[in-house]
Amino acid sequence: MTPAQLYCWHFMAYPHLPADFDEKYDTGWVTVPNHLWDAERSRGLYQEYIDQLAYADRLGFDGFVLNEHHQNIYGLAASPNIVAAALTQATKRGRIVVLGNLLPLHMNPMRVAEEYAMLDMMSGGRIVAGFAPGGGPETFNYDVPSARSREQFWESLDLIVRAWTEDGPFAHEGVHFPLRYVNPWPKPLQKPHPPVWVPGSRSPGTLIECAKRGYCYFLSSRSHGSATGRAKDQFTEIIEQHGKKYHPFRMGILLSVYVGENDNTARGECEEGVWYFLKNCLKGHLRTEGRQLTFGPGVPYIPTKAWRQYLETSKPGRKLLGDAENWEELESSNSIIVGGPDTVYERLRQLIDQTDVGNLLIQFHLGNMSDEITRGSMKRFAEQVAPRLREYSAKRFAERFPESEEEMAAAGVGA
Amino acid sequence: MSARLITAGGRKVGLVELGKGEPLLYLHGFADMHATRPGPFPFHETLAANRKLIAPAHPGCADSEEYPDLMTVEDAVFHYLDVFDALGLDKFDLVGHCVGGWIAAEIAVRHPERVKSLALIGAAGLFVPGALIGDVFMVAQPARGVEYADLRAMLFSSADHPLAQELFPDGRGGIDDEVRRYQMLRFGSFIGFKPPYFYHRALINRLHRINCPTLIITGEKDAMVPRAIANAYAGGIKGASLQVISGAGHAAHLEQPQAITDALSRLHR
Repeated sequence: MTPAQLYCWHFMAYPHLPADFDEKYDTGWVTVPNHLWDAERSRGLYQEYIDQLAYADRLGFDGFVLNEHHQNIYGLAASPNIVAAALTQATKRGRIVVLGNLLPLHMNPMRVAEEYAMLDMMSGGRIVAGFAPGGGPETFNYDVPSARSREQFWESLDLIVRAWTEDGPFAHEGVHFPLRYVNPWPKPLQKPHPPVWVPGSRSPGTLIECAKRGYCYFLSSRSHGSATGRAKDQFTEIIEQHGKKYHPFRMGILLSVYVGENDNTARGECEEGVWYFLKNCLKGHLRTEGRQLTFGPGVPYIPTKAWRQYLETSKPGRKLLGDAENWEELESSNSIIVGGPDTVYERLRQLIDQTDVGNLLIQFHLGNMSDEITRGSMKRFAEQVAPRLREYSAKRFAERFPESEEEMAAAGVGA
Repeated sequence: MSARLITAGGRKVGLVELGKGEPLLYLHGFADMHATRPGPFPFHETLAANRKLIAPAHPGCADSEEYPDLMTVEDAVFHYLDVFDALGLDKFDLVGHCVGGWIAAEIAVRHPERVKSLALIGAAGLFVPGALIGDVFMVAQPARGVEYADLRAMLFSSADHPLAQELFPDGRGGIDDEVRRYQMLRFGSFIGFKPPYFYHRALINRLHRINCPTLIITGEKDAMVPRAIANAYAGGIKGASLQVISGAGHAAHLEQPQAITDALSRLHR
């Protein structure tokens, strides 16, 4: 049975902010002044990050994850396809997951269809094609009308998959992206098409659309408590309503991990990077201090009914991940798992028990973490955590999902 | 006052009617009836003293059904043509605030024969180089998770204005009020977000088609729609007069209802 798939996610944070950034600036997103960008100090930065992912390939990770962000310090991969192109050359084995191209931001979805097809060819069929509608900041980045973004997203995605699977030229009579000649050259290597992953934060609309089309749903929440298990239950139910069965590779989750030498040293080794990430990178995104742009009335992308439900079930100004004031609070949010190899294994094993999610997308590099510290954590993970996790998950999934091998092959794993 | 639902173009439209007499159509903005409260403000009551004020909620706002095909201000104009037909409205006085003022101007340039008089209060809708309309969406995201001071400051003369505090309180207001505000932002996002940002580049060249008595009103301290836009409306519409409400913000009609209803009563004489 296929074990849990372990991916190394790199956000490519900007690591050279001044020490008083949090004091002086109210956000790390959209309007964070770009005079702070230090080109000289950042020479070689992309190379360092790409090299870390190439190292992940040599360490035996199942793949690498990139994503698209704009005008921010949290993630410098404004065009993740460019980084993916570098990875097609710098890596040999792992899947390259771009999670994802933000479709409503791109004028023509065919460009995305073509670039993924190129990447699939260049990588020998290692691309996982992720697509996302973008959240709040992207509304402001590219002036995307929030209330329209979901519908633009699904029109683009359906067009791209159709372009990959149906012979062209054909005409797309769409609302947002009408095109007379859809006829991409090249087409992807993987058949019928590269696996499609779509992120979401438990909104029923996205779960339903993913279930219908057989796509992998990636839960973009950074905190893992009971809500993660509920998301999986919800998705399972919806998949069953569409006549299919859940299996662990229909879903992915994001987590951040630091594996230290042992429990006593781990915190000290990673703490600087962790706080830089929480206080700076999450400011404007998952932190109430300043102005978060990710979710709220100014970015009204969820339907009115869903907004009412949100109001009825939430408290105003509730704490977000970046609001953690001390290490204990951070630990209890179950967002960043820090410890020696045994502790990290145990925490991840529990997470698999709670969720039966098969794709673990793990962030190792946090904020301004140094290359040496990052690589140390990745290596300990690959050598001392991953083997146990694979063995355990393969056994568990075989017991609980005995009939899923074929479907998993269709999802791009286990084949 | 009566509130009711009508069907126009196959869609449910919620509207408030006030007073008796010749019809006056009122199109609302962000700090306004339907977007903050279900019912009228004193401004609307006074406006209805010798007119029948009809105030529909924009698609998706208050009790009006969301209109999924609404993408541009043009669609909003055609939506309102359906509303006029459903109400049997032929010719009327037209008053609009903010986005409602923009839609009113778009109606007036297309159907000048239906508009007896036009009043625009803090109206968006025009592109004037260097005079960007304020980003209401950005400031609608609360600072520190709960503070709406920047939104209040954009919509009123001051973040501390008592009415601003009442309509856009920090923390969480009543859920129905919060939903109403969200609906209005969603409507704004449907027609106003994709560039152009609450403007229609072609509108300025069409203003000469308006041939009714017109009054352009702007708050002296309007922090959402710059004065240059009010000036451009006044300059582009034949015989239009411009009135600047001293000390008032974007929601000048809520802050100083008397000053504006006095001016409007001269227009509606």
